Amino acid sequence: MKKLVYLAMLLMGLLVLFSGCQKEETTGEAQPGKEKIKPRWTIGMSQCNLGEPWRVQMNLDIKNEAAKHPEIRVVFKDAQNDSLRQRAQIEEFINMGVDLLIVSPKEAAPLTPPVAAAYDRGIPVIVLDRRVLGDKYTCFIGADNKRIGRAVGEWVVKRLGGKGKVVELKGLMTSTPGQERHSGFREGIKGSEIEVIFEADMKWLEPEARKEMESALARFRRIDLVYAHNDPGAHGAYLAAKAAGREKEIIFVGIDGLPHEGQVYVQQGILEASFEYPTGGKEAIQVALEILNGQKVPREIKLPSRVFTRENIDRGGEWLEDQKGEERK
Amino acid sequence: MAEGKETKARLSRWRLVFQSPTTRALAALAFVILLGIIFNADQAFFKWDTHRDMLRQISVFGILACGMTLVIITAGIDLSVGSVLGLTAVLFSLFSLQLHWPPYLAVAATLLAGLLCGVASGGLVAYFRIQPFIATLAMMVFARGMAKWVSGGQKISTAILQPDGTYVYQEVPAFFNFLNSKILAGNIAVVTLIFFFCIGLSWLVLAKLRWGRYIYAIGGNEEAARLSGIPVIATKLLTYGLSGFFCAVAGICQAAQELQGDPEAGLTYELTAIAIVVIGGTNLMGGRGGIGLTFIGAITIGYLEKVLSINAVGEASRLMLTGIIIIGAVLFQKFRQ
Repeated sequence: MKKLVYLAMLLMGLLVLFSGCQKEETTGEAQPGKEKIKPRWTIGMSQCNLGEPWRVQMNLDIKNEAAKHPEIRVVFKDAQNDSLRQRAQIEEFINMGVDLLIVSPKEAAPLTPPVAAAYDRGIPVIVLDRRVLGDKYTCFIGADNKRIGRAVGEWVVKRLGGKGKVVELKGLMTSTPGQERHSGFREGIKGSEIEVIFEADMKWLEPEARKEMESALARFRRIDLVYAHNDPGAHGAYLAAKAAGREKEIIFVGIDGLPHEGQVYVQQGILEASFEYPTGGKEAIQVALEILNGQKVPREIKLPSRVFTRENIDRGGEWLEDQKGEERK
Repeated sequence: MAEGKETKARLSRWRLVFQSPTTRALAALAFVILLGIIFNADQAFFKWDTHRDMLRQISVFGILACGMTLVIITAGIDLSVGSVLGLTAVLFSLFSLQLHWPPYLAVAATLLAGLLCGVASGGLVAYFRIQPFIATLAMMVFARGMAKWVSGGQKISTAILQPDGTYVYQEVPAFFNFLNSKILAGNIAVVTLIFFFCIGLSWLVLAKLRWGRYIYAIGGNEEAARLSGIPVIATKLLTYGLSGFFCAVAGICQAAQELQGDPEAGLTYELTAIAIVVIGGTNLMGGRGGIGLTFIGAITIGYLEKVLSINAVGEASRLMLTGIIIIGAVLFQKFRQ
């Protein structure tokens, strides 16, 4: 009897969950009130980890762009930061017979074989943000962390007049974005009298950044600028400085520039600048449509970034100097 | 001859003091503080700000450890504390930042949600006799999923999405700012006081209420406790429920400090909470330990992190050192036998 009650409860719970969650999995299906157009193509989108806000935004960008094109339907899968799960999901897409595959892989090596398998079956594959090995894919779309890091460095040199004391709050240093945002920045400030007086790994996490910043504040009486590898990190540092009553004398700079994060922080005057790390979601759908319509697409698309500052935020930011003219219309 | 006897008596008294778990926990704390005094990072360790910030940083973990202590004394474990913290942080932000509920209502609803999560794990443990490790593991996964579902995977902040795709940001409610502030001339953070309050509440439960004696009895020998008429099921339900309640308190503090509800908040916090309890000297086998020990454990872990942080020790060495010091402290505790 006890077992039966337990089973019934479990089933009910599962039922509720499924009815609650299933809806958001796909786009392009029969929208109420609108004339029903049967989607011609199905696109599989394999996302490596929806635990990161930036990747949630990527899916959102894909969804919003896809919503403009009733001829396509996008099916989303989230691998929850597990390479093997992502591999299985790509194989599921192949078996499903999708017309095109968008993959934002967790890691290169384990995901190269399934991507290649799809490509060999004649399914066009768009690789988004992180790379796979070899050349068995149709198109790679991604931004350049090192270049953005360098742009931050150059901006900092200009902002501080070539001289100052800087705290660097690094993203997870075992991850490539963390390493590249670090080395790019160091290249950008090379030759100037900018001095990095304190650096710590805050693992992309806001509470960690706040903690590390408190240590920096305790140690150094003068800090001119804080460069955090992501906007939540810069926000955490700001909160620490504010608690110490020193937020006015420090400039905060971050990377990512998400609409609801970095851009809002800049608007609120918390960050002086946020450098966009574009998700490429919108571009992926545009390229996908070109491929499906039989057009030829470049093998590699480098996404340009914008910088959002207090002055330009209302105009929607500004393209970085060396990247002008690269933006896709 | 008489003198010799006296020395012996004094010696054994000393041994008794030395053998008490509190002394041993304090010794570990003293060691970490000594490290801080030696590696003081240009005198940064001697500023009150450093200690105040340490107390603030450890508060959320300490609040989780309060509930964890009670559960561990019943010979259980609560792996869900981090996830429930995430869920309640999201709920609290949703209620107060986006639905604009008044603080008392938002707090009450959030605490209720935490309590329910705890009672649910407690029910699985007490009624269905599922092992605490498994039951709370399930709750850990479930609550994390729920946090993501409720929030849609995004952080719940003061930025409100408008129909045209732009964001409008609002003022942070006064209650958030209050929780995130420092009082007594800026000398102590409000969340630290909440942590002290939780310690006090747990002490009250463990030392002054009949419920506390039941908790120790169940942890010591559950079967004997049942046979002697102790309401085992009710006690367990209440204990896990209280742990969930503390998670909600911690979740509110977390949300107030971050000015947002992050569905990923509290990831791996359960491990820190367990480490705090164990470093304090509470026995994982149940039946022994106390909240005072947990308080010392929390401060020890807090100082350890602070010393490593002000010296800007690299991540790799930091993790290794933390591991070594935790093991050192626990081994030191074990020498008692």
